[in-house]
Amino acid sequence: MKIRILRQKFPDSEPYWESFNYDGTREISVAGMMDELNFGDDIINDLGEKTDRIGWENSCLQGMCGACAMVINEIPALACETFLKNLKGDEVILRPLRKFPVIHDLIVDRSVIHETLKSTNVYIGEYNPKEKEDHEHQYTVANCLKCGLCLEVCPNYTNGKSFYGAVYANDCYLVKARNKEKSKDIRSSYAEHFGNTCSKALSCMDVCPMHIPTLSSMGKMNRR
Amino acid sequence: MKEILIIGNGISGMMCAIRCAESGMKVKLIAPGPSEQSQSVMAAGGINAVTERHEEGDSVQCHIEDTLKGGAYLAGSNAVSGLCSDAKEVIHYLERIGTVFSVDEHDHPLLRAFGGQTYKRTHYCGSSTGKHIVSALVMEVRRFEAAGLITRILRHHFYSALINDSRCYGALLYDEDARVLVPVYSDALVMASGGQNSLFGKTTGSSRCDGYAAGRLFMQGAALKNLEFIQFHPTTLETPQKRMLISEAVRGEGGRLFYLDGDQKVFFMEDKYGPKGNLMTRDLISREIMATGKDVFLDISFMDKKLIDSRLPEVRDICAKYSGIDISKKPIPVAPSVHYFMGGLAVHKDHATNIPGLYAVGECASIYHGANRLGGNSLLSAMYSGKVAAESISGENAGRESADFESYILSEQKKFKKMLEADSPFAAMHIRDLLAGTMREHMSIVRSADSLSKGMEDVRYYLSVADRIHYDSSVSAYTNYSLNGILTLALASLTCAEARRESRGAHYRSDYPTSLEEFRAATIITYNEGNMKVTFDRENAYED
Repeated sequence: MKIRILRQKFPDSEPYWESFNYDGTREISVAGMMDELNFGDDIINDLGEKTDRIGWENSCLQGMCGACAMVINEIPALACETFLKNLKGDEVILRPLRKFPVIHDLIVDRSVIHETLKSTNVYIGEYNPKEKEDHEHQYTVANCLKCGLCLEVCPNYTNGKSFYGAVYANDCYLVKARNKEKSKDIRSSYAEHFGNTCSKALSCMDVCPMHIPTLSSMGKMNRR
Repeated sequence: MKEILIIGNGISGMMCAIRCAESGMKVKLIAPGPSEQSQSVMAAGGINAVTERHEEGDSVQCHIEDTLKGGAYLAGSNAVSGLCSDAKEVIHYLERIGTVFSVDEHDHPLLRAFGGQTYKRTHYCGSSTGKHIVSALVMEVRRFEAAGLITRILRHHFYSALINDSRCYGALLYDEDARVLVPVYSDALVMASGGQNSLFGKTTGSSRCDGYAAGRLFMQGAALKNLEFIQFHPTTLETPQKRMLISEAVRGEGGRLFYLDGDQKVFFMEDKYGPKGNLMTRDLISREIMATGKDVFLDISFMDKKLIDSRLPEVRDICAKYSGIDISKKPIPVAPSVHYFMGGLAVHKDHATNIPGLYAVGECASIYHGANRLGGNSLLSAMYSGKVAAESISGENAGRESADFESYILSEQKKFKKMLEADSPFAAMHIRDLLAGTMREHMSIVRSADSLSKGMEDVRYYLSVADRIHYDSSVSAYTNYSLNGILTLALASLTCAEARRESRGAHYRSDYPTSLEEFRAATIITYNEGNMKVTFDRENAYED
């Protein structure tokens, strides 16, 4: 199996493609496969040359932290949850998420997600719900990993300067649902940075590893 | 205004940051990644507390007794009493900031029970309690970030503490982007850096919790405690990427452990302990699995598929996703794996270490769990320890004395630069892998003097090699410079296990299989110019 990776040494250096041969089991995730490539005596590319170990982020390695989000065969996904046996063909193409600045190889800077939430005061403050409903939806929304996959796939999101994407919409919903005092302000931020621009392609829901039904959050945000 | 430096942004680090900010202190919250990537998000089970809505018969005193008994009477009763008495406030606080607890029709949190608890007192958020507490705390931290009281600094790692004349004045950090060491001075340094997973390679926890900070601080004079007490979870599933935890719920639902003798299934737990054999404690089952010397399986396939779908969906999904096993048709291959570290930096009940100005909270600190931890008490201790540390820092007299670190910083920066310049084809990860092999073999569930001594010999060898290896430029500098601290911590753990010549809680010695009164005290280990010294805290010096 050929593994093609879009690599980059430093934030300001030129990206380049490098390929590797992988002969191991296909009953393994992309994360497990990269571990195998990285921790041999040396790491050798498909030209037989010794090269640098592949940079990628991980922490929980079981779909609970979002660290290993990347683009796998053109689909944004978590490396720890994507298995080689489920990928078509004999080539796996890995590249870093494109909507965020690259730090090194497959590692990107996703701090914009937190900056947008911080700058617009998206926090609950004190639990004070208007009505006790939609508990299950709130539970699902609070599972958001802030991995950025929804932004990667979104046709409206570019760089987080004005449109903040599904990750923002869902946190706004959680604040509105759990503190009625903030309802007015949060709806206004939501409209400005999400509601007025979203074209409802809903591709965010297809790639969300936590299966958050953003459409449902949108419906609830639009309800007074 | 006091300035506080917190290393680690999981639950204990965030809680400490919030309480410090509430008291008007300025906080720098340091971590390699965002809180959503901390190990805290993986804590599934729940958080223990006796609140106004407790089960009939339950009391704070009962929670205290369960915790002390679970820890084989090694934890200090004053500290545990503080933890359990405040648990109610912790739950109310989490409710107030909007944590999405699983609730009944009156919006009251539901309760469940874990092993070792006399009553149901575990509050939970579905199957991801840690994640939901993290989500709520992240929002609260955001409130103080917006107010300018908390500053998150990502892609930074702990390098060393700035210690002069036995007092801590801040830390030297490694900036991953600029690739340099930077000093940060503070009125208090709080370690919230998690457990010591990497000593054992792949465990059930996060790959980022490696114990380096505890190891380095140990080398700088901080005392460590109870390092031999490591909780193993008996049923984990090996996958190429990590060990996946298979919840106790499977055994709770009737799951049976067995091994194969030819074609014959041997239900070894039931044969030895009767019909409830599969529900024995984590320690005992782990030891029995090891004693079989065979591949062990956990079978729930006899259960109705609909019941599996409704009661064990997470286990069903983990096995299907990561191992391709349909648990309604096949048994699950299981083996014990490291799950939680009761030991760590020795702290007093105000969470101060033996070095003034240095505090520790969460799993990297050792105080509440004694020789073993009850399920549902780790999230509680993470929350509570963060609060307590902040309160004691707040109560300390202000006015930081000045100390001159110029020559120390210059010398460390020089060492660091030399490390970056020296190239070596040898990967630091290889030594970590060798260490994991040694620890899994010699610091496992059943220990003995012979085996521990072989383990120490191995680690001493790795330490001598690590000093000669300089740098593997294709991995993070952190992976390289952390090696020495991790190896030193491993040697300290083996040394503590050797010194405790009895069996208690999670520590089992085949050559000393019973508990002895003379060892009913915490193990304290200190480091001085390469020499380690073990003492037993019989005077309870760390109780106050």
